[in-house]
Amino acid sequence: MTDPGQPVHDVRQLLSGTTRHLACGADTDELLEQAADGHAGQLTDHQRHCLHCQAALKEFSRVWEPVRSLAAEHVTVPATLKTAVASQIRKLIADVWYTFHLGDSGAIRIAARVVATIAREAARNVPGVRAAFGRSTHSTTAGPAEKATLRHHHSHAAAGVLGRTAVVDLAIAAQYGTQLDAIAREVQQRAIAELRAKTGLHDVTVNVTIDDVIT
Amino acid sequence: MGADIDDGYLVQRAREGYVDAYAELVDRHGQMAYRVALRLLGNHHDAEDIAQEALVTAWQQLPRFKAGSSFSTWLYQIVTRKTLNRITRTRATESLDLLGDVPKTGDEPGQQTERDLTVDAVADAVAALPPPQRIAIVLRHFEGLSNAEIARITSSTIPAVRSHLFRGRRTLSQTLEQWR
Repeated sequence: MTDPGQPVHDVRQLLSGTTRHLACGADTDELLEQAADGHAGQLTDHQRHCLHCQAALKEFSRVWEPVRSLAAEHVTVPATLKTAVASQIRKLIADVWYTFHLGDSGAIRIAARVVATIAREAARNVPGVRAAFGRSTHSTTAGPAEKATLRHHHSHAAAGVLGRTAVVDLAIAAQYGTQLDAIAREVQQRAIAELRAKTGLHDVTVNVTIDDVIT
Repeated sequence: MGADIDDGYLVQRAREGYVDAYAELVDRHGQMAYRVALRLLGNHHDAEDIAQEALVTAWQQLPRFKAGSSFSTWLYQIVTRKTLNRITRTRATESLDLLGDVPKTGDEPGQQTERDLTVDAVADAVAALPPPQRIAIVLRHFEGLSNAEIARITSSTIPAVRSHLFRGRRTLSQTLEQWR
């Protein structure tokens, strides 16, 4: 036991773990934490009157100073990091013909053209729809996702698939005399429901354009 | 991109396929990913590898990202997990020399100042801590995170984090004191 009348100056002894408390009873780990956090100057009521605590805090602050200096050093990120990440993502996007879900048992993939086919077939079954075709779109919603699937050009429906998000564009020829907005909503609902049920895609957007009527 | 656009919005856009939105997230958090990996591994080359892997993995796993969560906390998780895997794998296949190579660009041997040597030595000492202590020390004393945040990132408890911090501080302080 340290002499309670003498402040402890042997910091190695304090750090060795053999002395977990100062003669005053203060916990050395708590004091080291206080010093490491840069709060050695913020003394408690006890510490204001305790030479043991003041000496220990001073020593711990000195020992910890090089760590503080290292932590304050600016770390320069290699210029190649961002371009390397972008390049890898571009490669992955170029290959995104599939929705993919990584589970514990492995990956599940569905080709984007399959997604497009499901949406198109769902649209064709809506009363009042005479034909459903894909259309290339540059809308703000579909454009980026469509670009993301660089090589995807399905003959009957355009679909952009990324992860579990899909954007499908459908162009519809409707029966003349039908309620066009109602048909469009029905196409959207059925296509979304079919895609969710059959592919597990959760975030599905179906853009519908009625660009023809057939008598 | 304005700083007023928050990470949550960028994550949402990135999930919709807007790669530019993710590029902005890389701009904002790439330095953190690299910095944490560097402090944990003490090696620039490995740190760049881990940061790159972590940022690509984060992009691939965006569909799993929970809305309302913090992107930076999530990225911290991915970086620390990948670093831990790297340490474990390296240990299993070869001797781990975390005290070794820390290249300093632009410095020839003998040109380093005394301060550089001290900083390098501290970096080596941090990188030589046992992994749980190292992660706790880096996240708390280099990244300024709270014990609660560290517990979330490491899927641990606050008492466990405190315990790793106590031991890590002691070990690190003992090493630094021996160099005096």
